[in-house]
Amino acid sequence: MSEPVLRVRGLRKQYPKVLAVDHLDLDVAAGEVFGLLGPNGAGKTTTLEIIEGLTAQDAGEIAIFGMDWKRHGKEIRSRIGVQLQSTSLFNKITPREALDLYGSYYPKRRSTKDLLDLVQLNEKADAYHITLSGGQQQRLAVALALINDPELVFLDEPTTGLDPQARRSLWDVIHHMKEEGRTVILTTHYMEEAEALCDRLAIMDRGRILTSGSPMELVRELELPSVVEFTFDGKAPDASDFARKLNQAVESRGDTWEIPTQDPKSLLPCLLEFAEMEKVPYKQVHVRRASLEDVFLHRTGRSLRE
Amino acid sequence: MLLRQFLMEWKLYSRDRVAMFWTFLFPLLLLLGLGVIFRSRGPALTLVWSMPAQTTAADAEMERALAQTELILLKLPPVEAERRWERGETAAQIEKAGEGYRIRVNSYLTAQGQSAAQIAQQAFLIAQAKHNGMNIDTLPILMESPGHAHASNYATFLLPGLIGLNLLSMGLFSVGMVNVAYREKGKFRRLAVTPLPKWIFLAGQILHRLTVVILQSFVMLLAGWLMFGITNHGSYVALMLVLTLGTGCFMAMGFALSSFAQTTETYGAISNIFFFPMMFLSGVYFTLDAAPRWLQTAVVALPLSPYIKALRGVFNDGAPLGSHLFGLAVVLAWTFAAFGIAVKRFRWS
Ligand SMILES: Nc1ncnc2c1ncn2[C@@H]1O[C@H](COP(=O)(O)OP(=O)(O)O)[C@@H](O)[C@H]1O
Ligand SMILES: [Mg+2]
Repeated sequence: MSEPVLRVRGLRKQYPKVLAVDHLDLDVAAGEVFGLLGPNGAGKTTTLEIIEGLTAQDAGEIAIFGMDWKRHGKEIRSRIGVQLQSTSLFNKITPREALDLYGSYYPKRRSTKDLLDLVQLNEKADAYHITLSGGQQQRLAVALALINDPELVFLDEPTTGLDPQARRSLWDVIHHMKEEGRTVILTTHYMEEAEALCDRLAIMDRGRILTSGSPMELVRELELPSVVEFTFDGKAPDASDFARKLNQAVESRGDTWEIPTQDPKSLLPCLLEFAEMEKVPYKQVHVRRASLEDVFLHRTGRSLRE
Repeated sequence: MLLRQFLMEWKLYSRDRVAMFWTFLFPLLLLLGLGVIFRSRGPALTLVWSMPAQTTAADAEMERALAQTELILLKLPPVEAERRWERGETAAQIEKAGEGYRIRVNSYLTAQGQSAAQIAQQAFLIAQAKHNGMNIDTLPILMESPGHAHASNYATFLLPGLIGLNLLSMGLFSVGMVNVAYREKGKFRRLAVTPLPKWIFLAGQILHRLTVVILQSFVMLLAGWLMFGITNHGSYVALMLVLTLGTGCFMAMGFALSSFAQTTETYGAISNIFFFPMMFLSGVYFTLDAAPRWLQTAVVALPLSPYIKALRGVFNDGAPLGSHLFGLAVVLAWTFAAFGIAVKRFRWS
């Protein structure tokens, strides 16, 4: 395997009250879309900002394109593109001016027009930043991350707070980055986003990486690849009694009971029969493949979004 | 690259209407407003004459003396005079006290009352002198600045003060506050991940503020000339030097203070600790000659007071820089101290 684009070893960051990053190792290969998936406060932003040279680590080594920040800071900066978790620009700068201005900081740059096309901001190209919607500001932030035609792009929660349609169109932009051969590192707490975008991902919680691999691998690693769901009208009733009698784990969440299983084929008939007997007032029953959400739940005992 | 950064600062700044107002319009309005209030001697002063019906020869002499002043003498019987007093309309009133007189001054209307009382006292002295056979009419008063500029009015006094105050507020708010706000909102962080050298960003910002301040000062000088006929009595080289020194000093103070605050709220508190005492104690709007000695001495240690004194000296009296060496040295010392702190403590996030 060729030299990874990013290589992190033993990264650690201690804030006064929390250990935000705890002995973290990462390898990201050229051309892949790599995701850091984890709940709020997992340490994703801290990890990314250390890698981007914004925050100083307490321990650990970082090599980007085989170079380190101390000696090659300027060169690294000119070859990476960064979208921060919150990109704050001047209120009264327009997208066109912002792209022109930030472009002027780099030796090599893409044209403002191409980027405005790419993120579909042509109509708003001359509107003040403060008048753009959240989604438009986010697309501008992503366009700014591409201004220098970077080999490695960092996107910190690029789609958080966007409506589903805006999220889809950003996914397209990220797919496009991959087609152009860029390496992308993104963070998210949406598992469907990680599944849709990432070649490889690492699940992160409390400063540590719990597991990593392709989305498929991660789900396969789970020994319980299927989930039976009972859906109720309104909030699901307490499941502990039922679980004890059934002798099977039942997770009550919102309006559903989730029953993870290795073998839905044999579980389902006796499950239905038992539910009938106990007069469980469920409305629907589904069997679905386990998702990254279940992987996370299984690893931490908590759901991604609490 | 530096030029581009500088031009961008100007472009964005010119779109900020609030900043434009505070920078250019507000000082002009202040100058116009205060200048007009204090331009003339105000409305004619009225003195209420509260005397019993029978008057003595001395009373007649006193009345004649008062009539020769510019006071409007309002003669009222004591009862009516008392009612007028209680309605709060009387600023000063002269009345019999035993053989002599006394003057009552309304403690809510001291600006008119004190002046009227002073003139009345003068009239009394003149009446006395006449009584004793001396023949004088008035003791003339001549307003003159230390540099013998005669036609000094309040606007002339105010203009250099306002320019100095503006330099201070530009430094503390337009530089210091803006930097804290940028840092708080993470505007610097987006720049920090680009290869833009920090010094270019800072130099662009400093150059921009410098041109803003110089432009602002010239707008005010121009307005002072057009509205009040105030002109520069000193050399333009000295004036430019003083203005540049002030800009440097107060901008450095803004930078230095901004490194002590993480949020705009804290910065607001910290900067006001400096701003308000300097604004009131540095002789911007009024002189401190009536304040206690120790305060007058202490204030010289703050940079604005000696700065305004030097600026007034140069601008109003045509004084050479050499005559304000001590004050300018104080300002220079502050500049270096603040600059040192700013460079040492400056952070991007
Ligand atoms: N500047 C900071 N000072 C103190 N604690 C911080 C700071 N930044 C982040 N943290 C803490 O570090 C942990 C990780 O935060 P973060 O990296 O932002 O997580 P994520 O991006 O995964 O939501 C959180 O507990 C957060 O409160
Ligand atoms: Mg984050």
